[in-house]
Amino acid sequence: MIQNDRVGIFWIAFSISLSLVITLMPLPTSIAAGRPLMYPATLLFWIMMQPTRFGVGVAWLGGLLLDVLFGTPLGEHGLALALAAYAVVRLRRILWTLAPLQQLALLLPIFAGYEFMLFWIDGVMGQSSAMWWRWVPVLTTAVIWPVWSALLERVALMEVR
Amino acid sequence: MLGVVVIASVVMMSADAGGSYMAPMRSALATVGYPFQIAASLPAQTVNYLERYFDRSELIAKNNRLKQKNLQLKGRLQQLASLESRNERLRSLLGSAASIDRHVQIAQILSSNPDPYRHRVKLNKGREDGVFVGQALIDAHGIVGQVVSVAPATSHAVLLTDPNHGIPVEINRTGQETIAKGTGRADTLKLPFLPSNADVKKGDLLVTSGLAGRYPAGYPVAHVTKVKHTPGREFLQVTAQPTASLGRGRAVLLVWNRNTSPSHAANSSPSQAAKSKADSSP
Repeated sequence: MIQNDRVGIFWIAFSISLSLVITLMPLPTSIAAGRPLMYPATLLFWIMMQPTRFGVGVAWLGGLLLDVLFGTPLGEHGLALALAAYAVVRLRRILWTLAPLQQLALLLPIFAGYEFMLFWIDGVMGQSSAMWWRWVPVLTTAVIWPVWSALLERVALMEVR
Repeated sequence: MLGVVVIASVVMMSADAGGSYMAPMRSALATVGYPFQIAASLPAQTVNYLERYFDRSELIAKNNRLKQKNLQLKGRLQQLASLESRNERLRSLLGSAASIDRHVQIAQILSSNPDPYRHRVKLNKGREDGVFVGQALIDAHGIVGQVVSVAPATSHAVLLTDPNHGIPVEINRTGQETIAKGTGRADTLKLPFLPSNADVKKGDLLVTSGLAGRYPAGYPVAHVTKVKHTPGREFLQVTAQPTASLGRGRAVLLVWNRNTSPSHAANSSPSQAAKSKADSSP
């Protein structure tokens, strides 16, 4: 149970950096629209698994970084990630007891909520983006989550033992 | 904690939208994010480097020079299709054809926005080169977009396909005026304001009409790819594919023309524009 141990900051920083690089990597537009939400997924994973260290504040700062890199209004991704993190924090105890696929049932609405917040703020800011493929990343995230979370957990376990 | 964060986000977003109050925080965070941007662009750069490594440097230089020259020439040529048909329509009225000898300058695309819902690019030419807000960008095949913000040495441009972008066009075959809007997809524009009896066919060329004064008239914009009429609807559903290779090329042309320049100095030459600017500033 890695939630009771302190995982080395190196692995956490490395996995978050890796997910950020994947998020920023230039891809053809048609593929980029379906790019999974690697960075939010990784942040939320560590918020879920390291309850004594990470919470809403870290998610917010991580989101602000995304805002600067994306050139979106400062606070857009911050707010969306903070709200998603809050949901994860509240559900943390339940999530720990679930298998990865069951976790997905709880996390999928959270990812969808994250994407909806971005969509909503874009709308309020006058940046129309009502396109159906806006929701594709939620599905691709659902596909990679079991693999990615298992991988992160494996790495973390290797290190705390 | 959540309450604080939510309020802070809302305050920051409004401050950000209202002006440059958040600029210090932005630049601080950008410093943190810079290594990640570098890392993300490494794979593509490595491929580029390897490709070049196996070529001879001289050949590369020559090739680049010729490509730029070719782009410039194509940029001037592409108006011919439109001018030809316009000439046919207007020969009786118009004594002389409009000059197509416009001043252009090549700009490199430095980066494009990683957010798939904002089709923006950053260019390596800025105010010092005479670039101004609203200036049109073209490539070898047609209109690319327009400049939306200018910094001293760089500028940002919005592409035709950005969902918030619209461009006044006319159908080259008939002269019908309408507006082409971006859809957020790299290869699709839509023409939402054509009445159901409009004469438009698949394959029609759309050219800039120059009506709003932003884009120079007569440049190719897109080819109509689909025309659909749903009975009972007042407007046709028309989609078109941009002729410019959006999101693929690395170089674009900035166009200076008489309609769009904000000052007389800017349309004569960019260096003069920069000079007159320098003169007027204390």
